Amino acid sequence: MEQSVPELMARLDSLESSLSMATTINSEVFYWWCTALMLAIHAGFLAYEMGASRAKNALASGMKNLIAFAFLIPAFYYVGWWIYLAFPSGFSIAEGSEAGLPWSEFMGPNLTDNASGIFYAAFTLFAATTASIMSGSVIERIRISGFTILAIFLGAVVWILGASWGWHPDGWLTTEWGLHDVGAAGCVHTVAGFFTLGVLINLGPRIGRFNADGTVNNIDGHNMPMSLIGLMLIVMGFFGFLGGCIIYTGDMWTTIYNTPTTLSAFAFNTLMGVAGGMIGAYLVTRDPFWMMSGALIGVISSAPALDLYYPGFAFLVSFAGGCIMPKLNDILVGKFKIDDAVGAVAVHGFGGVWGLIAAGLFASGYPNVAGPDISFVGQLSSAVVFMILGFVPGYALSYVLKVVGLLRVTEKAELAGLDKAEVPVSAYPESSVPAAFTNDPTSPTPAE
Amino acid sequence: MNTSPITSWEGAEAYFTFADKPALLALFTLIGIGVCVWTIVSMATHENKAYKDM
Repeated sequence: MEQSVPELMARLDSLESSLSMATTINSEVFYWWCTALMLAIHAGFLAYEMGASRAKNALASGMKNLIAFAFLIPAFYYVGWWIYLAFPSGFSIAEGSEAGLPWSEFMGPNLTDNASGIFYAAFTLFAATTASIMSGSVIERIRISGFTILAIFLGAVVWILGASWGWHPDGWLTTEWGLHDVGAAGCVHTVAGFFTLGVLINLGPRIGRFNADGTVNNIDGHNMPMSLIGLMLIVMGFFGFLGGCIIYTGDMWTTIYNTPTTLSAFAFNTLMGVAGGMIGAYLVTRDPFWMMSGALIGVISSAPALDLYYPGFAFLVSFAGGCIMPKLNDILVGKFKIDDAVGAVAVHGFGGVWGLIAAGLFASGYPNVAGPDISFVGQLSSAVVFMILGFVPGYALSYVLKVVGLLRVTEKAELAGLDKAEVPVSAYPESSVPAAFTNDPTSPTPAE
Repeated sequence: MNTSPITSWEGAEAYFTFADKPALLALFTLIGIGVCVWTIVSMATHENKAYKDM
């Protein structure tokens, strides 16, 4: 049966409308599941940090993670999303950023906006990741209240300002310097790692970590297998994290900088990065904890150019990261007496810097859509910006908290164990915990 | 309490409760921030007491 031209046009319009809606729904579904997968990162950090704590501090360490997660969700809703939209050009407020204010018509159910909620959710999980990065380093002596304040400031203000500058299609680090960091190694990992370094300087080491002569005591966690499973969960969650770093437009994938890419590119290089980091860290430490931390190092090392690297080369970049970062952690602990309980400054802070610099060294010359080509100088300069952006607020705020007595627990509480001091339930009430790891202050660990 | 900003789904855009009253939304934001701050203060008070009682 022949159809008239108007009928065919109407049918074409209908098909186009259906296709457009299918694209929108696909996009929403994609980020929904990326967000869900990212929850594994927080399950992982929870297990990993509780395992890395002594039994007397296990629940207090876990509580810290749970509280940071719970507080960051509203905090990011109240200010975080607006900061991202407002400051891509530096400190001046961008036109249209009011769409991110919590009383905007776009910050709730809206039939004309399928994007704001789903991107808010994904970015909120990124924000919670920054807090979790800091969380492990400060276990066993930080006050939960002080940590919560630090976590909110890092997750809802500091990192997202870095994201607006360098992980945004109009961010000035990209438009001015050509920064390329598709996997957010700079704004998430470098910023959080250096924020943590600033906090650790003011927080100080755990009692018993260093001897009077400067030698270092190992303070082992009470459940290494739980830590290893936690680290593997974090790696799993990173597939959601990195998936959330890609923009789905329906007809093609793009990076956050609007350059074309494929999910396949990310799959190749994420896996090769994980493997390279694990093998590198194993080679230099023989330690399963560092081997799994090496997986994170591997992802972070390749993250800035996940869309560009030859997978065989990403493996080598991440292998180098896996070899280098444990040694940098040794220097931080042994030479500078920084008690980073899980090595997060090295893994995330220095790992992020390495990733940014590696992209400058090995992926220079690729064009950006907005701004100059990728260059070593642009990547290095951007890394310095992220380091400063993380360190200065972390040091300053933790210093203020220290002065007002909100940063560190009392010595008595630290020796007795934070679970006994602050938590109304017991982690292992009926188990046979070795005497050295009980809450009994008369049975301190060997390090004490 | 009628909180609906719409009277018909035809042409509806932002349809969440109180969407047509931005001043109320701002008030809820302030109350929410207040709840978070209050809880952190309570957390610090709990810690101070716990350390003192040890």
